[in-house]
Amino acid sequence: MAQQEKREVIERELTMSRAMVEAIATEMRDNEEVFYMGEDVADYGGIFDSTEGLLDEFGYDRIMDVPISETAYLGAAVGAAQEGMRPIAELMFVDFFGVAMDQIYNQMAKNTYMSGGNVSVPMVLTAAVGGTYNDAAQHSQTLYGTFAHVPGMKVVVPSTAYDAKGLMHNAIRDDDPVVYMFHKRLMGIGWLPAPKGPKTPVPEEDYTIPFGSADLKREGDDVTIVTLGLHVHRALDAAESLADDGVDAEVVDLRSLVPLDTDTIVESVEKTGNLVVVDEDYRSYGVTGEIVASVADESLGALDAVERVALPDVPIPYSRPLEQEVVPDAEDIEAAVQRTQ
Amino acid sequence: MADTDRVAVTVAEWPDDADSDEGVVVNWFIREGRSIDEGKSLCEVQVEKVSLDVLAPVSGTLVEVVCGEDDEFARGDTLAWMEPA
Repeated sequence: MAQQEKREVIERELTMSRAMVEAIATEMRDNEEVFYMGEDVADYGGIFDSTEGLLDEFGYDRIMDVPISETAYLGAAVGAAQEGMRPIAELMFVDFFGVAMDQIYNQMAKNTYMSGGNVSVPMVLTAAVGGTYNDAAQHSQTLYGTFAHVPGMKVVVPSTAYDAKGLMHNAIRDDDPVVYMFHKRLMGIGWLPAPKGPKTPVPEEDYTIPFGSADLKREGDDVTIVTLGLHVHRALDAAESLADDGVDAEVVDLRSLVPLDTDTIVESVEKTGNLVVVDEDYRSYGVTGEIVASVADESLGALDAVERVALPDVPIPYSRPLEQEVVPDAEDIEAAVQRTQ
Repeated sequence: MADTDRVAVTVAEWPDDADSDEGVVVNWFIREGRSIDEGKSLCEVQVEKVSLDVLAPVSGTLVEVVCGEDDEFARGDTLAWMEPA
């Protein structure tokens, strides 16, 4: 792939958080309408390092700590965007979306439509997502399906530093609202160690990754594993172990849920015949069902076997062994793949 | 090139307010054998949960990582060796 050829000459590797911050800083230097607001994003640098170092360069006017009212500051971001600014507003935990649901679901997502196209809402809503570190049911969700469900906003989920930077550039430049969901476990924070995969070579110059372009993180002929975020890395682990058993898995990283790259998924399933969808969101009414249905719509005959691997429909437990039980791991993915063979 | 030409990578400025003389390496930003410019971030360490970047002391190649990710080290320890360009 062209991307990989380019990567070989890059000496440095970045964590996902540093790649995100680099893209934000570049956009802020290039366009004074770009600013960042959220809880603990200024002095603290974001509790998951999403804004680390930005305050030093851009000051409090453009890196703004806000009062603890998601409705107030997300509403302010929608208004600023409609007036031509390019706000990035952060939900410290995606789980907190509920207190600002009207601003997200009815204002940010629909104001372009409701105004008959008189305003656009070029904002980015960043949100930390995901569990695996015992933060209990109100701080561990991904809620991918909840955000991808409503029309009017794009939804992106990076799994590597390279993807995080390109998707962030694209998100800030997009004239419509983009929800940018970053998994805490992938950021590369000292107290929350990332798996090996997300730290990648990242070019110094800016580049964009178009939305709706899924990425084959591994090619294979026997089964298609479709996933996103943290579970890209768990799927790659599973694929490695499956290879020892003679099963060659293809891993499709969605990178964006809206728009969804159905073509890449269908093409892969038509090659392998078997589909395993892996999601860290709840099983019912979510990503796994949507992907399976999309493939069935397009190419029902290609499907020999289908498996869904997702969180069971329960609140995510605080207890470490219980959380490990409900969040899919590489072994769960491996077992699901074996059931398709 | 002889060993004597190699430059040790250490935490140049230990945080003033740290009680501990130990730290942990969190992230390396280049791999062994790759090169980096002086003053760029070489790795990230934590001392008492505070993160700081260790900058490349010279322009050159990272020839040997002594303390890998998640390894603990003491104040003054050599984290890696660089060969100046």
